[in-house]
Amino acid sequence: MSDKPKLFVPSSWSRRRFLRNSATFAAAGVASGVSGFPFINKLPVRAQDAPLKFWQFYAPGGQVKPQVEWFEKMVADWNDSHEQKVELEFVPNKEYINGPKLATAFASGQGPDVFIISPGDFLRYYNGGVLQDLTPYIDEKARADFPESVLATRMVDGKIYGLPMEVEPMAMYYSVKAFEQAGLNENDVPKTWDELLELGKKLTTPERYGLLFQTAPGYYQNFTWYPFLWQGGGEFQGADGKSAFDSPATVQALKFWQDAVNSGAAPRQVLGNGANDSVANLASGYCAIQNVGIWAISQLKNNAKDFPYGVFRLPTPANGKYVTVGGGWAFVANAKGRNPEAAGQFCAWALASTEQGSVDRVATWCTEAKSDMPPRDSALKAREAAFGEGMIGKFARDIHPGTRAEPRVPPEVYKIISDAIQQTMQGGADPQATASAASQQLDAYLASYSGAPLL
Amino acid sequence: MSSRTANAAQPRGEAFAGSEPLHGPMITTAKPKFKRSRISSRHQEWIAGYLFVLPDALGLLVFLGLPMLLSLVLGLYEVDGFGSYRFVGMANYAKMMSDRLFWQSAKVTALYAVMLVPLLYVCGLGLALLVQKTNRFNGFIRSMFFAPHMISLVVVALVWQFLVVDKIGVLTRLASALGFSGISLLGDPDFALFTVVAVSVWFLMGYYMLIFLGGLQDIPAMYYEAATMDGAGPFARFWYITLPLLKPTSFFVIMISMVAAVAGSQAFDIIWVMTSGGPANSTSVLIVYIYQQAFGFGAFGYAAAMSSILVISLMVLTGLMFLLTRGGRFNYD
Repeated sequence: MSDKPKLFVPSSWSRRRFLRNSATFAAAGVASGVSGFPFINKLPVRAQDAPLKFWQFYAPGGQVKPQVEWFEKMVADWNDSHEQKVELEFVPNKEYINGPKLATAFASGQGPDVFIISPGDFLRYYNGGVLQDLTPYIDEKARADFPESVLATRMVDGKIYGLPMEVEPMAMYYSVKAFEQAGLNENDVPKTWDELLELGKKLTTPERYGLLFQTAPGYYQNFTWYPFLWQGGGEFQGADGKSAFDSPATVQALKFWQDAVNSGAAPRQVLGNGANDSVANLASGYCAIQNVGIWAISQLKNNAKDFPYGVFRLPTPANGKYVTVGGGWAFVANAKGRNPEAAGQFCAWALASTEQGSVDRVATWCTEAKSDMPPRDSALKAREAAFGEGMIGKFARDIHPGTRAEPRVPPEVYKIISDAIQQTMQGGADPQATASAASQQLDAYLASYSGAPLL
Repeated sequence: MSSRTANAAQPRGEAFAGSEPLHGPMITTAKPKFKRSRISSRHQEWIAGYLFVLPDALGLLVFLGLPMLLSLVLGLYEVDGFGSYRFVGMANYAKMMSDRLFWQSAKVTALYAVMLVPLLYVCGLGLALLVQKTNRFNGFIRSMFFAPHMISLVVVALVWQFLVVDKIGVLTRLASALGFSGISLLGDPDFALFTVVAVSVWFLMGYYMLIFLGGLQDIPAMYYEAATMDGAGPFARFWYITLPLLKPTSFFVIMISMVAAVAGSQAFDIIWVMTSGGPANSTSVLIVYIYQQAFGFGAFGYAAAMSSILVISLMVLTGLMFLLTRGGRFNYD
């Protein structure tokens, strides 16, 4: 009996033929993949009657109960009264903002039907042609309820492509305990950058930093730096469309943050989720003063309710005027989704309808689910009492009136500005030389840019 | 007569014809006909070998080869990340040549690899030498050295981030106590890459220790006994016996640690969590920059082109190593 294995190979196959057939098979697979390459994203066929997917980082998996409930109630109310259903899909915050989930979903034609974006992301999605025009679904009266400055960064050619759910101005928060230990009180809050730096040094101890700005590179760091640029009259783009970054205002803003770090008053690293996390940085005692937005009120209320703190508006340079930046997320509909019409109607119904339910929804989000300024005048009126007291009242009276909307820039512009901030603040580079180099890069990019205007 | 000889003596296919039935007499109506294979026994073995390898080869082809090929093709397109593809030929490669951040990232990658590979070699071999003797303690110590490798890289990065945070981190306090106050191990561009390399070494050295342990155990003990009898000390035994006989293991360790360092397979998680490529791009290795371009900016075509260059560089480096070592074969004569 033979001890050789009997092979399931046609006996007439030679080695050469075997190799040739294997190679043909492999090549066919590769060729079919390559030839179908540009059409890969068009392959999926999706059910038209399935619920619309609404991606965000609040519900149903979020940790803040009032925010989860707000989203769930909104979707339940819509589903009760509309044939086209909507379903919430939770994406963890870090994954949503810095992760590949959205990018890969859109690249493969599987993007969500409704999602939320910040102004920093607006141009990428608009220029990619995936933002549905929401104007047809918004009543003129409701549109007039939104201040022009709030909608401007979500509009192109007079059409609305995103509906803001909040306005989040930046301010400075301080620890009352740290102030008291240094023999200071609320009358000692700084008015100018120089005073802030001096105070920061005074509040610095071997265990604590005097003041804190965002240190990690990213959209958020740029967002928090813009008001310091604007306060001295600086802009990154001039009226002629060319770079205006190489200016004394840019240089002094870069130098201000650099001085804060070099003096030892501000850290090179922040704790927790970043400088937007007031509990991990301010309440933990890591810093005495923190540059953070209005959302810190609800952060501290929910997670450090016994922590005494105060708020003051951003100090200004000696030659400057007060201005702060207002961020905030907006509902947008996917123009390439399974039902863009219904998705657009949902966004308008939720945040921009003349019905009282829509106004209340915005007001509830800004006062109960979060602590934000409302993007609608009627929502502000509806909760006049809530916006007139406590820390929110302070924002409404002193801080919010100087708010300028977060600019919208393409990723390439963001990166150039981010590198300039990082090189000076963390790398110790010369602010003037850095501003000049960044300005040249901006000019080179803007000369070839074609898309919606930067604002 | 052996079965091989017996089979060779009669025509193949008739091997069963004369054999006794196992359970009583067998009634046959016709003699089974087997066609004589025209493939020689050597080629049959050859084909069998390929068939055994085929499932794995197909897996590699579909999940590695095909994506690599698609990535090469993607590098020739301008991709906006929303379904639009425009053929741009070599434009992405031309853009790379003038992209200062690409070159800076390449430089950071080279620095990372130049620091990581020798450190991993020394630490991995050092640990292996420390724990190579089998006793009741060394088994436990080996497990402890390998333990970091079983933890998620994200967790490793988060823990280390906390250990080295400014002012209040345990290691920062230790440095202050030793007179190095005011140092920011992750926030200062002069230190950040060293910190990331140190964390990478801490994470990976247990794995390389295991590989070296395998290599050390392959060295026959009689060489050491003979050397000891000839009066060789520990250093001489290490230098003249251990190191030369570890050449194949060393080659393997250097090869895979270099691939890991350049491709950033482990570096990405650690860097992304600890520094996001900062401060001032000082830890932005190529894989981090590629990730930013693809998933942060939606420039999938440009990212694919950079990936292709990275893969080609790795292939060249690996090829050079094989060339220098004649395919990883070492002459002990």
